[in-house]
Amino acid sequence: MEKTDKEVIERCLSGYTDDFRFLVRRYEKPLFAYLFCRLGNRSLAQEAAQESLVRAFTGLSKLNKPESFHSWLIGIAARVALEFHRSARRHVEKAETIAEVPVSNTGETQDYLLDEYIAMLPESQRQLILFRYYEELSCQQIADRLQVPLGTVTKTLSRAYVILREKLQSGCTTRLEGLA
Amino acid sequence: MNCIECKEYLVAHLEDTLDPDTAADFRLHLATCEECRLLLESSAALQKRLLQRGRMTADVSQVGPVMDRINRPNIVEQSIETERGSFMNKLLKWRWTLGMGAIASAAVLILVAIIATPNMQVAAEEIMAKGANAMAKLSSIHLRGQLRTLPADNFSYIAPEMDFVTIELWKEFGPVPKWRVDKPGRIAVMDGQTTMLYIKPDYAFKLPKPSASAFDTQWLHDIANINQALDDEMASIKKHGWTTTVAHEASSDGKAKSVVTIEAKSGYNNDDYLKNIFFCTADTQRVYEFDDQTGFLTSARIFLHAATGTKLIFELTQIDCNPKIASDIFKLQIPEGVTWKEEMQVLPDNEKYASMTSEQAARAFFEACGRDDWKEAGKFCTMTGSLKDYLGGVKLISLGTSFTSMLSIISGAQFVPYEIKMKDGQVKKFNIALKRDPHTKRWFVDGGL
Repeated sequence: MEKTDKEVIERCLSGYTDDFRFLVRRYEKPLFAYLFCRLGNRSLAQEAAQESLVRAFTGLSKLNKPESFHSWLIGIAARVALEFHRSARRHVEKAETIAEVPVSNTGETQDYLLDEYIAMLPESQRQLILFRYYEELSCQQIADRLQVPLGTVTKTLSRAYVILREKLQSGCTTRLEGLA
Repeated sequence: MNCIECKEYLVAHLEDTLDPDTAADFRLHLATCEECRLLLESSAALQKRLLQRGRMTADVSQVGPVMDRINRPNIVEQSIETERGSFMNKLLKWRWTLGMGAIASAAVLILVAIIATPNMQVAAEEIMAKGANAMAKLSSIHLRGQLRTLPADNFSYIAPEMDFVTIELWKEFGPVPKWRVDKPGRIAVMDGQTTMLYIKPDYAFKLPKPSASAFDTQWLHDIANINQALDDEMASIKKHGWTTTVAHEASSDGKAKSVVTIEAKSGYNNDDYLKNIFFCTADTQRVYEFDDQTGFLTSARIFLHAATGTKLIFELTQIDCNPKIASDIFKLQIPEGVTWKEEMQVLPDNEKYASMTSEQAARAFFEACGRDDWKEAGKFCTMTGSLKDYLGGVKLISLGTSFTSMLSIISGAQFVPYEIKMKDGQVKKFNIALKRDPHTKRWFVDGGL
């Protein structure tokens, strides 16, 4: 029986800080994918993901809507990615040579928007996207795990697809909670 | 089929889960609807991007590093915790932290009648869920058990070939938790304000802040968080398809109890070099005993299925829920004369040490020990009295070429093979682990002595 984000966060704030690992496990992959698309470098994305998760932990009490943890986390990651970019720029200015530009500085792709939009999906759709594409469970495995009919899984995913497609096509500008 | 229905079936079509009749209807609609055809194309493109996400992130694992930072944000603390760690400590630490996603348990060898029902897993889940609910809101807990390990070694060090050592945890939950973990040669205490470690006879460390878990006690804290641990175990059973059995029997005091036995398969082949190296790569048998009346977990055991046979490696024999814990438990009395671990400082000639290779650092360390030059040796390692006794007058016979290994990924250490002759004439060959202190950039000994 998986606890919801809200339940895990409440336990963390009650002193069961070890439970934060469940949120790490749940979101480490979409977070990494987002940061990899922002930074274009695996090791930097790992480092930034770690930093984002630690910041999320330390700021947990400031999260107004625990059910929005995912989008809040991506917002934190956006700031961390920005800091990494700034740091890289400073490095370039200091070095005065393009030869020392870290790979990360040139690797950003617009694909990170997909991860932002996933984080903004309704809970039921977002959960299935994470299970199917980050945990790599089949639709049947998801249905078994959640004890729902297979058709419910595929239809919910279809609805998530509709939302994601629309956002990607319109270049949705809704800001994530964590973005100042 | 109309456009609305068609949109609902897009993913089912892409995943090939439609029944033949619906699939035929779907195709028929597509043949006549340009808009839905375009939707299908863009959905297929989106699916491709999403599937790439799984491949891109398959090897991502941040739980260990993140929890490590959360629990041990101070780099000094990180270094002290591994200071005395040996090569195997690292391995075994990770056995627990990676694999102990749930509470321990294993096979009761003298099980009474195992009741084989077609729905054994459901029965096991019901018992475990009842236990998790019953133990969801504890204010305190006391665990006592035994682990095959060395009395003073790392708390997460499991050595199947060793004898059992008693291990105990007291914990008060709440906004400011307190805890204590005891082994005969090592004690860690967090009194709500500071976190301290004492390794008998003469080594201590004090972290001036509370810590949710420190000094490699995470796995025991995981167990103490019983309801979550049981939830985890149930999730693992489902995810990995582990087999479970349930037995009903009477305990020695006549109370009815349920015994859930889980065969946890790692999925690693016997010839895989990782097999039984980490807890999560080991095949284990876990047994949980629950009081039927209260639902409480009353004992837990883990057996390791090794090539040489099945062996009990850990058991919890006492689980006290909501005990009143004497305040003295959270006070650690450390004798005078111990060596306190200190943060590494930048030296006046720091560059000399920072520019060393790991091999040069290993040589400098052993040679300083050989001269009993404890000031110099102390630049690489906190030298306790017992360590001075052990390494004083040592003669360095040879050093090999430094290397990294899978362990380096975990610990960040480099290993240098060495051969030394102790003052009693004994010759020792092993690998010293060295890590660079991020603040001073100097190498320090991280284990392998």
